[in-house]
Amino acid sequence: MRNILRLSLTLVVVGIVSAALLTGMYNLTTPIIAERKEAEYRESLQCCFPDFDTFETVELEEDKFDLLYDQDGDLVGIMATAVQQGYDGDITYNLAFDGEGKIIDIIIISHSETPGVGEVITTDDFQEQFIGKSYEDPLTTGEDVDTVSGATISTSSMIGSIRRVTGVAAESFLGVESEEIDIATVPDGVYSGSAPGAGGPISVEVEVSGGEIIRIDVLDQNETPTYYIESYPLIPEQIIADQNLDVDTKTGATLSAEGIINAVRDALSGALEDGS
Amino acid sequence: MKSDNVYLGDLTRGIVKENPVFRLVLGMCPTLAVTVFIVNGFGMGLAAAAVLIASNLVISLLRKFIPMEVRIPCFIVIIATFVTIIEMVLQAFQPALYEALGVFVPLIVVNCIILGRAEAFASKRPVFRSLADGVGVGIGFIVALVILSTVREILGQGTILGPDPASAIHLFGANFEPMALFAQPSGAFIALGLLMGLVNVIFKRFNI
Repeated sequence: MRNILRLSLTLVVVGIVSAALLTGMYNLTTPIIAERKEAEYRESLQCCFPDFDTFETVELEEDKFDLLYDQDGDLVGIMATAVQQGYDGDITYNLAFDGEGKIIDIIIISHSETPGVGEVITTDDFQEQFIGKSYEDPLTTGEDVDTVSGATISTSSMIGSIRRVTGVAAESFLGVESEEIDIATVPDGVYSGSAPGAGGPISVEVEVSGGEIIRIDVLDQNETPTYYIESYPLIPEQIIADQNLDVDTKTGATLSAEGIINAVRDALSGALEDGS
Repeated sequence: MKSDNVYLGDLTRGIVKENPVFRLVLGMCPTLAVTVFIVNGFGMGLAAAAVLIASNLVISLLRKFIPMEVRIPCFIVIIATFVTIIEMVLQAFQPALYEALGVFVPLIVVNCIILGRAEAFASKRPVFRSLADGVGVGIGFIVALVILSTVREILGQGTILGPDPASAIHLFGANFEPMALFAQPSGAFIALGLLMGLVNVIFKRFNI
Protein backbone atom coordinates (compact mmCIF):
# COMPACT_ATOMS: atom_id res chain seq x y z
CA MET A 1 0.00 0.00 0.00
CA ARG A 2 2.71 2.45 0.99
CA ASN A 3 4.63 1.49 -2.06
CA ILE A 4 1.75 2.24 -4.39
CA LEU A 5 1.34 5.61 -2.73
CA ARG A 6 4.98 6.41 -3.27
CA LEU A 7 4.88 5.33 -6.89
CA SER A 8 1.85 7.41 -7.76
CA LEU A 9 3.17 10.36 -5.81
CA THR A 10 6.41 10.30 -7.78
CA LEU A 11 4.52 10.24 -11.04
CA VAL A 12 2.26 13.08 -9.90
CA VAL A 13 5.21 15.22 -8.86
CA VAL A 14 7.07 14.59 -12.11
CA GLY A 15 3.90 15.40 -14.04
CA ILE A 16 3.22 18.60 -12.14
CA VAL A 17 6.76 19.90 -12.49
CA SER A 18 6.72 19.09 -16.18
CA ALA A 19 3.37 20.82 -16.66
CA ALA A 20 4.56 23.91 -14.82
CA LEU A 21 7.71 24.10 -16.93
CA LEU A 22 5.77 23.71 -20.14
CA THR A 23 3.18 26.30 -19.18
CA GLY A 24 5.90 28.83 -18.48
CA MET A 25 7.66 28.06 -21.73
CA TYR A 26 4.41 28.21 -23.68
CA ASN A 27 3.57 31.63 -22.30
CA LEU A 28 7.04 32.83 -23.19
CA THR A 29 7.11 31.60 -26.76
CA THR A 30 3.49 31.93 -27.94
CA PRO A 31 3.51 35.71 -28.39
CA ILE A 32 6.84 35.48 -30.23
CA ILE A 33 5.52 32.77 -32.53
CA ALA A 34 2.31 34.66 -33.24
CA GLU A 35 4.17 37.90 -33.88
CA ARG A 36 6.63 36.19 -36.17
CA LYS A 37 3.86 34.49 -38.17
CA GLU A 38 1.99 37.74 -38.58
CA ALA A 39 5.17 39.57 -39.60
CA GLU A 40 6.07 36.80 -41.99
CA TYR A 41 2.64 36.91 -43.57
CA ARG A 42 2.65 40.68 -43.91
CA GLU A 43 6.07 40.44 -45.48
CA SER A 44 4.90 37.81 -47.91
CA LEU A 45 2.04 40.13 -48.85
CA GLN A 46 4.48 42.98 -49.28
CA CYS A 47 6.19 41.20 -52.17
CA CYS A 48 3.07 41.22 -54.29
CA PHE A 49 1.23 44.23 -52.91
CA PRO A 50 3.75 46.92 -51.99
CA ASP A 51 1.12 49.55 -51.27
CA PHE A 52 -1.36 47.65 -49.12
CA ASP A 53 -2.24 48.99 -45.73
CA THR A 54 -4.90 46.82 -44.12
CA PHE A 55 -6.36 43.46 -44.91
CA GLU A 56 -9.59 41.68 -44.24
CA THR A 57 -9.96 37.92 -44.21
CA VAL A 58 -12.90 36.16 -45.78
CA GLU A 59 -13.33 32.41 -45.69
CA LEU A 60 -15.39 30.81 -48.40
CA GLU A 61 -15.86 27.07 -48.06
CA GLU A 62 -12.37 25.59 -48.23
CA ASP A 63 -10.59 28.71 -49.45
CA LYS A 64 -9.37 31.72 -47.54
CA PHE A 65 -9.20 35.12 -49.16
CA ASP A 66 -7.41 38.14 -47.77
CA LEU A 67 -8.71 41.32 -49.31
CA LEU A 68 -6.02 43.96 -49.29
CA TYR A 69 -6.81 47.65 -49.18
CA ASP A 70 -4.52 50.64 -49.54
CA GLN A 71 -4.65 53.70 -47.31
CA ASP A 72 -7.61 55.16 -49.23
CA GLY A 73 -9.58 51.98 -48.72
CA ASP A 74 -9.35 50.85 -52.33
CA LEU A 75 -8.98 47.18 -53.10
CA VAL A 76 -5.43 46.69 -54.33
CA GLY A 77 -5.39 42.95 -54.43
CA ILE A 78 -6.56 39.59 -53.17
CA MET A 79 -4.40 36.93 -51.59
CA ALA A 80 -6.07 33.55 -51.79
CA THR A 81 -5.00 30.54 -49.76
CA ALA A 82 -6.24 27.26 -51.17
CA VAL A 83 -5.65 23.58 -50.64
CA GLN A 84 -5.65 21.14 -53.51
CA GLN A 85 -5.21 17.39 -53.56
CA GLY A 86 -2.05 16.70 -55.55
CA TYR A 87 -0.43 13.44 -56.54
CA ASP A 88 0.67 12.69 -53.01
CA GLY A 89 -1.20 14.64 -50.36
CA ASP A 90 -2.41 18.18 -50.13
CA ILE A 91 -0.82 21.13 -51.83
CA THR A 92 -1.36 24.37 -49.93
CA TYR A 93 -0.63 27.49 -51.90
CA ASN A 94 -1.21 31.21 -52.15
CA LEU A 95 -2.53 32.87 -55.24
CA ALA A 96 -2.06 36.61 -55.45
CA PHE A 97 -4.38 38.70 -57.62
CA ASP A 98 -4.16 42.38 -58.36
CA GLY A 99 -7.19 44.64 -58.08
CA GLU A 100 -8.45 43.52 -61.50
CA GLY A 101 -8.23 39.82 -60.79
CA LYS A 102 -5.00 39.21 -62.70
CA ILE A 103 -2.70 36.59 -61.17
CA ILE A 104 0.54 38.21 -60.03
CA ASP A 105 2.13 35.43 -58.05
CA ILE A 106 1.82 31.81 -57.03
CA ILE A 107 3.46 30.72 -53.79
CA ILE A 108 3.48 27.05 -52.84
CA ILE A 109 3.34 26.95 -49.05
CA SER A 110 3.57 23.23 -48.53
CA HIS A 111 3.34 20.11 -50.63
CA SER A 112 4.52 16.53 -50.58
CA GLU A 113 4.85 15.88 -54.30
CA THR A 114 7.64 13.59 -55.49
CA PRO A 115 11.01 15.37 -55.33
CA GLY A 116 12.32 16.03 -58.81
CA VAL A 117 8.99 15.09 -60.42
CA GLY A 118 5.77 16.62 -59.09
CA GLU A 119 7.96 19.17 -57.38
CA VAL A 120 7.97 21.16 -60.65
CA ILE A 121 4.85 22.93 -59.37
CA THR A 122 7.21 25.03 -57.24
CA THR A 123 9.34 26.13 -60.19
CA ASP A 124 9.15 29.44 -62.00
CA ASP A 125 8.95 27.64 -65.33
CA PHE A 126 5.64 26.12 -64.38
CA GLN A 127 4.25 29.08 -62.45
CA GLU A 128 5.17 31.79 -64.96
CA GLN A 129 2.56 30.63 -67.44
CA PHE A 130 -0.19 31.78 -65.06
CA ILE A 131 1.19 35.22 -64.34
CA GLY A 132 -0.89 38.00 -65.87
CA LYS A 133 -3.83 35.70 -66.59
CA SER A 134 -7.23 36.32 -65.07
CA TYR A 135 -10.76 34.92 -64.89
CA GLU A 136 -11.19 36.04 -68.49
CA ASP A 137 -8.60 33.52 -69.67
CA PRO A 138 -9.47 29.85 -70.12
CA LEU A 139 -6.65 28.68 -67.76
CA THR A 140 -7.05 25.30 -69.35
CA THR A 141 -4.54 22.60 -70.18
CA GLY A 142 -3.60 22.75 -73.84
CA GLU A 143 -5.17 26.14 -74.42
CA ASP A 144 -3.18 28.75 -72.56
CA VAL A 145 -1.33 26.69 -69.96
CA ASP A 146 0.43 23.34 -70.10
CA THR A 147 1.02 20.44 -67.79
CA VAL A 148 4.54 19.13 -67.36
CA SER A 149 5.01 15.67 -68.80
CA GLY A 150 5.98 13.15 -66.16
CA ALA A 151 4.17 15.25 -63.57
CA THR A 152 0.75 15.36 -65.18
CA ILE A 153 -1.29 14.72 -62.04
CA SER A 154 0.52 17.30 -59.92
CA THR A 155 0.46 19.97 -62.59
CA SER A 156 -3.06 19.38 -63.89
CA SER A 157 -4.51 19.44 -60.39
CA MET A 158 -2.75 22.76 -59.82
CA ILE A 159 -4.09 24.14 -63.09
CA GLY A 160 -7.61 23.05 -62.19
CA SER A 161 -7.37 24.49 -58.71
CA ILE A 162 -5.96 27.81 -59.92
CA ARG A 163 -8.77 28.08 -62.47
CA ARG A 164 -11.35 27.40 -59.78
CA VAL A 165 -9.90 29.84 -57.22
CA THR A 166 -9.51 32.53 -59.88
CA GLY A 167 -13.19 32.14 -60.75
CA VAL A 168 -14.33 32.18 -57.13
CA ALA A 169 -12.28 35.29 -56.38
CA ALA A 170 -13.63 37.11 -59.41
CA GLU A 171 -17.24 36.22 -58.67
CA SER A 172 -17.07 36.87 -54.95
CA PHE A 173 -15.02 40.04 -54.76
CA LEU A 174 -14.76 41.66 -58.15
CA GLY A 175 -18.44 41.59 -59.01
CA VAL A 176 -18.00 39.37 -62.03
CA GLU A 177 -21.18 37.43 -62.62
CA SER A 178 -21.18 34.05 -64.20
CA GLU A 179 -23.62 34.26 -67.06
CA GLU A 180 -27.07 33.22 -65.94
CA ILE A 181 -28.95 31.19 -68.47
CA ASP A 182 -32.71 31.17 -68.60
CA ILE A 183 -33.39 27.63 -69.68
CA ALA A 184 -36.96 28.47 -70.67
CA THR A 185 -35.69 30.67 -73.50
CA VAL A 186 -33.59 27.95 -75.07
CA PRO A 187 -35.23 26.60 -78.24
CA ASP A 188 -35.88 22.87 -78.48
CA GLY A 189 -33.04 20.80 -79.84
CA VAL A 190 -29.92 18.84 -79.05
CA TYR A 191 -26.84 20.89 -78.26
CA SER A 192 -23.30 19.99 -77.47
CA GLY A 193 -20.75 21.86 -75.44
CA SER A 194 -17.52 21.30 -73.60
CA ALA A 195 -15.59 22.67 -70.64
CA PRO A 196 -12.41 21.74 -68.83
CA GLY A 197 -12.66 19.24 -65.99
CA ALA A 198 -9.87 18.04 -63.76
CA GLY A 199 -8.21 15.82 -66.34
CA GLY A 200 -9.06 17.53 -69.62
CA PRO A 201 -12.08 18.70 -71.56
CA ILE A 202 -15.47 17.21 -70.75
CA SER A 203 -17.93 17.28 -73.63
CA VAL A 204 -21.66 16.85 -73.16
CA GLU A 205 -24.79 16.63 -75.23
CA VAL A 206 -27.85 18.40 -73.86
CA GLU A 207 -31.37 17.88 -75.10
CA VAL A 208 -33.88 20.67 -74.51
CA SER A 209 -37.55 20.28 -75.08
CA GLY A 210 -40.34 22.65 -74.15
CA GLY A 211 -38.02 24.97 -72.28
CA GLU A 212 -36.68 22.18 -70.10
CA ILE A 213 -33.54 20.09 -70.09
CA ILE A 214 -34.66 16.52 -70.54
CA ARG A 215 -31.37 14.75 -71.15
CA ILE A 216 -27.67 15.28 -70.44
CA ASP A 217 -25.14 12.83 -71.82
CA VAL A 218 -21.43 13.04 -71.18
CA LEU A 219 -19.80 12.14 -74.50
CA ASP A 220 -16.17 12.39 -73.62
CA GLN A 221 -14.17 12.87 -70.46
CA ASN A 222 -10.80 12.05 -69.04
CA GLU A 223 -11.43 12.40 -65.30
CA THR A 224 -9.89 10.37 -62.53
CA PRO A 225 -12.33 7.44 -62.39
CA THR A 226 -13.00 7.50 -58.63
CA TYR A 227 -13.79 11.21 -58.63
CA TYR A 228 -15.73 11.01 -61.84
CA ILE A 229 -18.06 8.37 -60.45
CA GLU A 230 -18.99 10.75 -57.65
CA SER A 231 -19.97 13.52 -60.04
CA TYR A 232 -21.67 11.45 -62.67
CA PRO A 233 -24.54 10.78 -62.97
CA LEU A 234 -25.33 12.80 -59.85
CA ILE A 235 -24.70 16.22 -61.37
CA PRO A 236 -26.70 15.74 -64.62
CA GLU A 237 -29.58 14.24 -62.62
CA GLN A 238 -29.60 17.18 -60.26
CA ILE A 239 -29.51 19.71 -63.09
CA ILE A 240 -32.47 18.00 -64.72
CA ALA A 241 -34.37 17.80 -61.46
CA ASP A 242 -33.77 21.44 -60.56
CA GLN A 243 -33.76 22.80 -64.12
CA ASN A 244 -30.99 24.99 -62.85
CA LEU A 245 -27.23 24.95 -63.31
CA ASP A 246 -26.62 26.19 -59.80
CA VAL A 247 -26.34 22.76 -58.17
CA ASP A 248 -24.17 21.67 -55.29
CA THR A 249 -20.87 20.15 -56.26
CA LYS A 250 -19.45 17.31 -54.31
CA THR A 251 -16.36 17.95 -52.24
CA GLY A 252 -13.43 15.90 -53.41
CA ALA A 253 -14.64 15.95 -56.98
CA THR A 254 -15.32 19.65 -57.34
CA LEU A 255 -13.35 20.06 -60.53
CA SER A 256 -15.11 17.20 -62.32
CA ALA A 257 -18.51 18.39 -61.17
CA GLU A 258 -17.88 21.96 -62.23
CA GLY A 259 -16.53 20.68 -65.51
CA ILE A 260 -19.85 18.98 -66.23
CA ILE A 261 -21.86 22.03 -65.16
CA ASN A 262 -19.75 24.35 -67.28
CA ALA A 263 -20.00 22.05 -70.26
CA VAL A 264 -23.81 22.14 -69.99
CA ARG A 265 -23.66 25.91 -69.65
CA ASP A 266 -21.46 26.07 -72.74
CA ALA A 267 -23.96 24.00 -74.69
CA LEU A 268 -26.93 26.13 -73.64
CA SER A 269 -25.23 29.47 -74.23
CA GLY A 270 -24.16 28.18 -77.63
CA ALA A 271 -27.79 27.36 -78.31
CA LEU A 272 -28.94 30.83 -77.30
CA GLU A 273 -26.34 32.48 -79.51
CA ASP A 274 -27.34 30.41 -82.52
CA GLY A 275 -30.98 31.20 -81.98
CA SER A 276 -30.67 34.96 -81.74
CA MET B 1 43.88 12.33 -12.95
CA LYS B 2 41.97 9.10 -12.94
CA SER B 3 38.61 10.82 -12.59
CA ASP B 4 39.44 13.02 -15.57
CA ASN B 5 39.99 9.92 -17.61
CA VAL B 6 36.60 8.56 -16.64
CA TYR B 7 34.89 11.69 -17.92
CA LEU B 8 37.00 11.74 -21.04
CA GLY B 9 36.14 8.11 -21.63
CA ASP B 10 32.43 8.82 -21.18
CA LEU B 11 32.73 11.73 -23.57
CA THR B 12 34.63 10.05 -26.41
CA ARG B 13 32.95 6.67 -26.24
CA GLY B 14 29.72 8.10 -27.64
CA ILE B 15 31.47 9.90 -30.49
CA VAL B 16 33.56 7.12 -31.97
CA LYS B 17 33.44 3.68 -30.42
CA GLU B 18 29.75 3.65 -29.64
CA ASN B 19 28.58 6.17 -32.19
CA PRO B 20 24.78 5.94 -31.96
CA VAL B 21 24.23 5.91 -35.73
CA PHE B 22 27.21 4.11 -37.21
CA ARG B 23 27.90 1.64 -34.42
CA LEU B 24 24.70 1.16 -32.40
CA VAL B 25 22.25 1.87 -35.24
CA LEU B 26 19.90 3.75 -32.95
CA GLY B 27 17.60 6.67 -33.77
CA MET B 28 17.21 5.63 -37.38
CA CYS B 29 13.93 7.48 -38.08
CA PRO B 30 15.25 11.04 -37.91
CA THR B 31 18.60 9.88 -39.27
CA LEU B 32 17.09 8.64 -42.49
CA ALA B 33 14.29 11.15 -42.83
CA VAL B 34 15.72 14.60 -42.25
CA THR B 35 19.26 14.32 -43.58
CA VAL B 36 18.40 15.80 -46.97
CA PHE B 37 20.30 19.01 -46.29
CA ILE B 38 23.30 19.56 -44.04
CA VAL B 39 21.43 22.34 -42.26
CA ASN B 40 18.59 19.95 -41.41
CA GLY B 41 20.90 17.18 -40.31
CA PHE B 42 22.86 19.51 -38.08
CA GLY B 43 19.67 21.07 -36.65
CA MET B 44 18.16 17.67 -35.93
CA GLY B 45 21.38 16.52 -34.29
CA LEU B 46 21.58 19.66 -32.20
CA ALA B 47 17.95 19.41 -31.05
CA ALA B 48 18.30 15.75 -30.12
CA ALA B 49 21.64 16.39 -28.41
CA ALA B 50 20.16 19.23 -26.36
CA VAL B 51 17.32 16.99 -25.21
CA LEU B 52 19.73 14.15 -24.49
CA ILE B 53 22.06 16.28 -22.38
CA ALA B 54 19.22 17.87 -20.43
CA SER B 55 17.43 14.58 -19.84
CA ASN B 56 20.64 12.78 -18.86
CA LEU B 57 21.35 15.54 -16.36
CA VAL B 58 17.87 15.57 -14.80
CA ILE B 59 17.47 11.81 -14.77
CA SER B 60 20.84 11.38 -13.13
CA LEU B 61 19.91 14.00 -10.52
CA LEU B 62 16.61 12.25 -9.80
CA ARG B 63 17.91 8.69 -9.97
CA LYS B 64 17.61 8.18 -6.20
CA PHE B 65 14.06 9.60 -6.02
CA ILE B 66 12.48 7.77 -8.90
CA PRO B 67 11.39 4.28 -7.86
CA MET B 68 12.45 1.45 -10.11
CA GLU B 69 8.85 0.45 -10.97
CA VAL B 70 7.84 3.77 -12.53
CA ARG B 71 11.16 4.83 -13.99
CA ILE B 72 10.15 4.45 -17.64
CA PRO B 73 7.05 6.70 -17.45
CA CYS B 74 9.07 9.23 -15.45
CA PHE B 75 11.87 9.20 -18.03
CA ILE B 76 9.40 9.61 -20.87
CA VAL B 77 7.68 12.55 -19.18
CA ILE B 78 11.04 14.23 -18.52
CA ILE B 79 12.20 13.65 -22.10
CA ALA B 80 8.87 14.78 -23.53
CA THR B 81 9.05 17.97 -21.49
CA PHE B 82 12.43 18.86 -22.93
CA VAL B 83 11.36 17.95 -26.43
CA THR B 84 8.30 20.18 -26.19
CA ILE B 85 10.44 23.03 -24.90
CA ILE B 86 12.88 22.57 -27.78
CA GLU B 87 9.95 22.44 -30.18
CA MET B 88 8.56 25.75 -28.92
CA VAL B 89 11.97 27.40 -28.95
CA LEU B 90 12.63 26.24 -32.51
CA GLN B 91 9.22 27.45 -33.62
CA ALA B 92 9.85 30.85 -32.08
CA PHE B 93 13.44 31.43 -33.10
CA GLN B 94 14.31 29.01 -35.90
CA PRO B 95 11.05 28.72 -37.87
CA ALA B 96 12.72 27.60 -41.11
CA LEU B 97 14.44 24.72 -39.38
CA TYR B 98 11.25 23.88 -37.49
CA GLU B 99 9.35 23.63 -40.78
CA ALA B 100 12.09 21.54 -42.37
CA LEU B 101 12.28 19.03 -39.53
CA GLY B 102 8.50 18.82 -39.27
CA VAL B 103 7.12 15.89 -37.34
CA PHE B 104 10.60 14.66 -36.43
CA VAL B 105 10.97 17.30 -33.73
CA PRO B 106 8.15 15.92 -31.54
CA LEU B 107 9.34 12.43 -32.43
CA ILE B 108 12.60 13.06 -30.59
CA VAL B 109 10.57 11.89 -27.58
CA VAL B 110 10.70 8.33 -28.84
CA ASN B 111 14.25 8.55 -30.16
CA CYS B 112 15.72 5.41 -28.67
CA ILE B 113 19.13 7.00 -28.22
CA ILE B 114 17.73 9.28 -25.53
CA LEU B 115 15.69 6.73 -23.63
CA GLY B 116 18.53 4.27 -24.15
CA ARG B 117 21.09 6.53 -22.50
CA ALA B 118 18.66 7.37 -19.70
CA GLU B 119 17.98 3.73 -18.97
CA ALA B 120 21.44 2.32 -19.55
CA PHE B 121 23.59 5.11 -18.22
CA ALA B 122 22.13 8.18 -16.54
CA SER B 123 19.80 6.34 -14.18
CA LYS B 124 22.75 4.47 -12.67
CA ARG B 125 25.60 6.96 -12.71
CA PRO B 126 26.52 10.24 -11.02
CA VAL B 127 25.62 13.60 -12.51
CA PHE B 128 28.86 14.66 -14.13
CA ARG B 129 29.49 11.32 -15.78
CA SER B 130 25.95 11.37 -17.16
CA LEU B 131 26.52 14.86 -18.45
CA ALA B 132 29.74 13.79 -20.17
CA ASP B 133 27.95 10.82 -21.64
CA GLY B 134 25.10 13.01 -22.91
CA VAL B 135 27.50 15.45 -24.53
CA GLY B 136 29.52 12.63 -26.09
CA VAL B 137 26.59 10.71 -27.53
CA GLY B 138 25.03 14.01 -28.62
CA ILE B 139 28.16 15.01 -30.50
CA GLY B 140 28.34 11.52 -31.98
CA PHE B 141 24.77 11.85 -33.24
CA ILE B 142 25.45 15.31 -34.70
CA VAL B 143 28.65 14.15 -36.41
CA ALA B 144 26.91 11.12 -37.92
CA LEU B 145 23.96 13.20 -39.16
CA VAL B 146 26.21 15.85 -40.65
CA ILE B 147 28.33 13.25 -42.48
CA LEU B 148 25.24 11.49 -43.83
CA SER B 149 23.51 14.70 -44.84
CA THR B 150 26.65 16.02 -46.54
CA VAL B 151 26.80 12.93 -48.72
CA ARG B 152 23.09 13.08 -49.44
CA GLU B 153 23.02 16.79 -50.17
CA ILE B 154 25.97 16.63 -52.55
CA LEU B 155 24.58 13.64 -54.44
CA GLY B 156 20.87 14.36 -54.15
CA GLN B 157 20.84 18.13 -54.60
CA GLY B 158 24.27 18.99 -55.98
CA THR B 159 24.66 21.70 -53.37
CA ILE B 160 26.25 22.36 -50.02
CA LEU B 161 24.58 24.43 -47.30
CA GLY B 162 21.20 24.59 -49.08
CA PRO B 163 18.29 25.01 -49.39
CA ASP B 164 18.58 28.69 -48.45
CA PRO B 165 19.71 30.29 -51.73
CA ALA B 166 21.78 32.85 -49.78
CA SER B 167 24.18 30.22 -48.48
CA ALA B 168 23.77 27.38 -51.00
CA ILE B 169 26.87 26.56 -53.03
CA HIS B 170 26.23 24.76 -56.29
CA LEU B 171 29.11 22.35 -56.65
CA PHE B 172 28.62 21.19 -60.20
CA GLY B 173 27.21 24.24 -61.97
CA ALA B 174 23.67 24.97 -63.00
CA ASN B 175 23.33 22.14 -65.52
CA PHE B 176 24.02 19.37 -63.05
CA GLU B 177 21.17 16.92 -62.79
CA PRO B 178 21.26 15.65 -59.17
CA MET B 179 20.56 12.03 -58.29
CA ALA B 180 17.09 12.56 -56.89
CA LEU B 181 17.21 9.08 -55.37
CA PHE B 182 19.52 10.33 -52.64
CA ALA B 183 17.02 13.02 -51.68
CA GLN B 184 14.50 10.29 -50.87
CA PRO B 185 14.40 7.86 -47.95
CA SER B 186 15.48 4.93 -50.11
CA GLY B 187 18.63 6.86 -51.02
CA ALA B 188 19.16 7.51 -47.31
CA PHE B 189 19.29 3.76 -46.66
CA ILE B 190 21.81 3.30 -49.45
CA ALA B 191 23.99 6.18 -48.29
CA LEU B 192 23.84 5.05 -44.67
CA GLY B 193 24.73 1.48 -45.61
CA LEU B 194 27.74 2.59 -47.62
CA LEU B 195 28.90 4.92 -44.86
CA MET B 196 28.54 2.19 -42.24
CA GLY B 197 30.62 -0.10 -44.40
CA LEU B 198 33.24 2.59 -44.74
CA VAL B 199 33.27 3.22 -40.99
CA ASN B 200 33.70 -0.50 -40.33
CA VAL B 201 36.63 -0.70 -42.73
CA ILE B 202 38.29 2.29 -41.10
CA PHE B 203 37.73 0.92 -37.60
CA LYS B 204 39.13 -2.44 -38.57
CA ARG B 205 42.17 -0.82 -40.12
CA PHE B 206 42.94 1.17 -36.98
CA ASN B 207 41.80 -1.47 -34.52
CA ILE B 208 39.26 0.69 -32.74
